[in-house]
Amino acid sequence: MGAYIEGRDVNLTFRPPSRAPVPALRHFDIDVNEGEFLSIVGPSGCGKSTFLNVLLGLLTPDAGALSVDGKRITGPGTDRAMVFQEFGLLPWRTVQANVELGLELKRMPTPARKDISRRLIRMVGLAGFETHYPHELSGGMKQRVGLARALATDPDVLLMDEPFAALDAQTRDLMQVELLRIWQETRKTVLFVTHQIDEAIYLSDRVMVMTRRPGQAKRMFTVDLPRPRDYEMRVTRAFNDLKLEIWNALKDEITV
Amino acid sequence: MADIAAPVPVVRASFVARHRRALLGCLAVVAFLAAWQAMFLVVPFNPLFITKPSLMLAALLDMLQTSELVDALLASGAPFCFGLAAAVVIGVALGIVMGWRTRVGYALDPLLTVFYASPLVALAPLVVVFFGVGLFAKTMIVFLLAVFPFIFNACAGTRAVDRLLIDVVRSLGGAERDLYVKVIVPSVLPYIVAAARIAVGRALIGVLVGEFFAASEGIGYAIARFGDLFALDRMFACILVIMVIAVALTEGIRWAERAAFPWRIGQ
Repeated sequence: MGAYIEGRDVNLTFRPPSRAPVPALRHFDIDVNEGEFLSIVGPSGCGKSTFLNVLLGLLTPDAGALSVDGKRITGPGTDRAMVFQEFGLLPWRTVQANVELGLELKRMPTPARKDISRRLIRMVGLAGFETHYPHELSGGMKQRVGLARALATDPDVLLMDEPFAALDAQTRDLMQVELLRIWQETRKTVLFVTHQIDEAIYLSDRVMVMTRRPGQAKRMFTVDLPRPRDYEMRVTRAFNDLKLEIWNALKDEITV
Repeated sequence: MADIAAPVPVVRASFVARHRRALLGCLAVVAFLAAWQAMFLVVPFNPLFITKPSLMLAALLDMLQTSELVDALLASGAPFCFGLAAAVVIGVALGIVMGWRTRVGYALDPLLTVFYASPLVALAPLVVVFFGVGLFAKTMIVFLLAVFPFIFNACAGTRAVDRLLIDVVRSLGGAERDLYVKVIVPSVLPYIVAAARIAVGRALIGVLVGEFFAASEGIGYAIARFGDLFALDRMFACILVIMVIAVALTEGIRWAERAAFPWRIGQ
């Protein structure tokens, strides 16, 4: 019996033409439970985004096995969806058309698409902005669209690649609260890549620390904080003890 | 206590201030024509070699009274439209493939650059030899001149497509065809419109040159014939009409560009 998401000995090396190969992942192992919120922190360039892209099916590993719910990953699939750091909204599409993109690609008929996008736009708090274009939205609103688009195809696994890194600090705090609310409503399995230890602890059931490149799982931390969580939790003793522990595991990997 | 703002009187800028740009542009045109007309107060006027705006205008009105000018324009409009349409379809398709398939781009780039950089109007006599005198030959010349901006712009636009958007569509289950339809073509559209601005000018040259060499009707043929007949007032009137059409088309595309891509305002 394996875990819901299971990665065993995943290896991936980038081979850019006429340059030295870059090993991104080596002997990378991971187990994620169904419905779990797991964060991955690690130094810049450690391969954490690469791993999400492998799991998404956009990159193919050189070796190793990776499966979701027992099914081996061979390419993109509707059981997984990604929220991208730079949003990745199509600038010529309105909010609603952006949210419906995945449904359109699944050839879902228009009325059904509309029902789903309406519901999700409301869920992420963008009701009334359906006909706006991305350039008319703030960063936080753009990422709400990104989240709604990822949820629209109703994936089992939500991959989030530093989704709030492009946002200012206050917007980021607010988006974290929103994300927890939406996660509790939808009960997806979430893999969340971030640089911020605070963010990782606040959101997650478990936090994985990765080594520097080539990336490997270094240590797994369980976050024993009750849910639902609130902002005050960030100033409690338990929160900060864990933060220090994770920082100690992480700091040896960081080279400036 | 709440402050109540005094109503601010709305001062509307005067007509001159609001349309300063257009008015100054028109002023320069009028000044040019006036200088041209006034020149002959000091320089002796010989209608065999030159004309003046007043005579040009009279010739224009004269030609408008008969169907002469309209017929010529219609005869030229057909090859212009056909050639330009073929240039859009073939140029854009070829450009996108060259931009998206790196190897196709590498292979065709040098060859097409040579054609683009060389004066293709020099090939006009050859086109006449191959295709004779008529609509097809004229269309061919227009196409040859107009196709290159579409190829190169579509290619550049395709290379500039945001890779993230490609990843987004692929991750949501999009196939190769979806990448073209949902990402590449919409990304490239503004580049195509920009190409159209250049191509329209080249297509007009194509029509005129084609009709100089390969026609028995059309506005280019009319210009050449009036030139041969020393009817310079009529010849210049035709040139003036061509100029007005060129400006109208270019400005029309500029306007369409702003209207069609509201999402580009923020970029």
